[in-house]
Amino acid sequence: MQPGLSFEQAPPISVPFRFFLTAPLFGMAAGLLLLWQGPAALASRWTSAALALTHLLAVGFMLQAMCGALLQMLPVAAGANIWQPRRVTQFTHAGLTVGTLLLVAGFLFETAWFFRIAVPFMTVSLGAFALIVLIALFRTPAQGPTIIALRIAVFGLIVTITLGATLASSFGWQLALPLTEITHVHAAWGLGGWSLLLVAGVAYLVVPMFQLTPPYPAWLTRSFSVTLFFLLAAWSITWLPLQRPDGFQVALACAAALLAVVFAAVTLRLQAQRRRKVIEPTLLFWRVAMASLVVAASAVIVQQLNPGTEDYAGTPFLLGVLLMVGVFMPVISGMLYKIMPFLNWMHLQKIGRPGLVVPNMRQMIPEPRMMMQFRLHLAALALLLGAVPLPWLVYPGGVALIASCIWLEWNLVVATRNFARFSRELEERLAQEQAPSS
Amino acid sequence: MAEERVIDGRGLMPPEPMELTLTALDTLPDGEELTLLLYCEPHPLYGILRQNGYTHRSQTRPDGTVEIHIRKV
Repeated sequence: MQPGLSFEQAPPISVPFRFFLTAPLFGMAAGLLLLWQGPAALASRWTSAALALTHLLAVGFMLQAMCGALLQMLPVAAGANIWQPRRVTQFTHAGLTVGTLLLVAGFLFETAWFFRIAVPFMTVSLGAFALIVLIALFRTPAQGPTIIALRIAVFGLIVTITLGATLASSFGWQLALPLTEITHVHAAWGLGGWSLLLVAGVAYLVVPMFQLTPPYPAWLTRSFSVTLFFLLAAWSITWLPLQRPDGFQVALACAAALLAVVFAAVTLRLQAQRRRKVIEPTLLFWRVAMASLVVAASAVIVQQLNPGTEDYAGTPFLLGVLLMVGVFMPVISGMLYKIMPFLNWMHLQKIGRPGLVVPNMRQMIPEPRMMMQFRLHLAALALLLGAVPLPWLVYPGGVALIASCIWLEWNLVVATRNFARFSRELEERLAQEQAPSS
Repeated sequence: MAEERVIDGRGLMPPEPMELTLTALDTLPDGEELTLLLYCEPHPLYGILRQNGYTHRSQTRPDGTVEIHIRKV
């Protein structure tokens, strides 16, 4: 192709890359924490270690990568960019990174002042980011199910941040609040209202695009995000009287989980109908994620219908591993292996000129390296799930999680270095061609 | 009569449809139209077209295919 056309001014490639390169570091930290705590990490969801572990994965890995990915999705899905992209992302990245470290330190060392500093860091940086992105999503003339899902997802992020800040404030200033109830609602909005809706909104666009499947059926894309939002909102309201779960609350939770199963099943079916039967890392990551989502959401239904399962300490660990290590980490890894090569390619086009061949996306990260990380991550998932009945498996599971995150980080570093190398080569070739005429 | 120029990008992996479109625009005579078929609205391409003096209009078929008609302003 020829890149003689000029490209719109997009933020420099370092803007999204900083989020992507930071996320796996928190994944490694989560693996190290698992090794440090051993089987004690499984004992309860309320221990300091379990809360630190949850936030290393949910905020350190997932939210970090999702913020970067959302910034990239806006120009693709909405044809829009956010206000002051460079400044906003630098501010968000710094606030999110420091805030996550403070939050995790607060949980681990049970020290109030860590929470007191973490609250303003996280609230201001993430809150500003969410509002700016939401404004961009409402101002775009673009329409469609992806835009609707992204708007609701960002609203879900705002709910999650608000409730999270409330909980952290209660730790920081010893406020008497109904912590258990707020935590349930905070977790549901973080995993369902924000993360799952973001994945769904992105999936409507990228699954047909990159995996060459038929489009998602209109009945699903029209109803999924709005229905999940109303179910979550109604379920959240049932917690207000602070009473034991009643039948209505259980029915709402089961309906939301069933909806998640439907989304995952439709995605798996579309992948089975893809036009090119090529097996590649992103497809495998998405398949594992959707299969994990079916299992996780089914487990939620079983748990809701059998209240006794809550007493089994392994249930929260099982759900946490399924959702974070099984669903969201694989989706994010698979997406990063498309987003980073695509960004490299787009930015290299800007350097070139007619007749100058720009390296293609496949040259950015070697596929065998991505497949290796997929195998490591699958091993981590299997071992950590095995740790529910056999707690000693948490040690090899932690090692596999660290290995997977190191491999992911290195693959992303390779993509970054390849961008620098290809940029340099293109500029040198341009300089050589211009030299005789000057 | 001018030949119809159509790029069917529905079975192609990104960024191949964009590469083919930009290459085809190179040789698109003034007054003629290039049609691109996709399953989504290519917003990044729209930005490039706007910046380089091309106009486009799109319409969605019942099967979800988006038809994008591009011509020089």
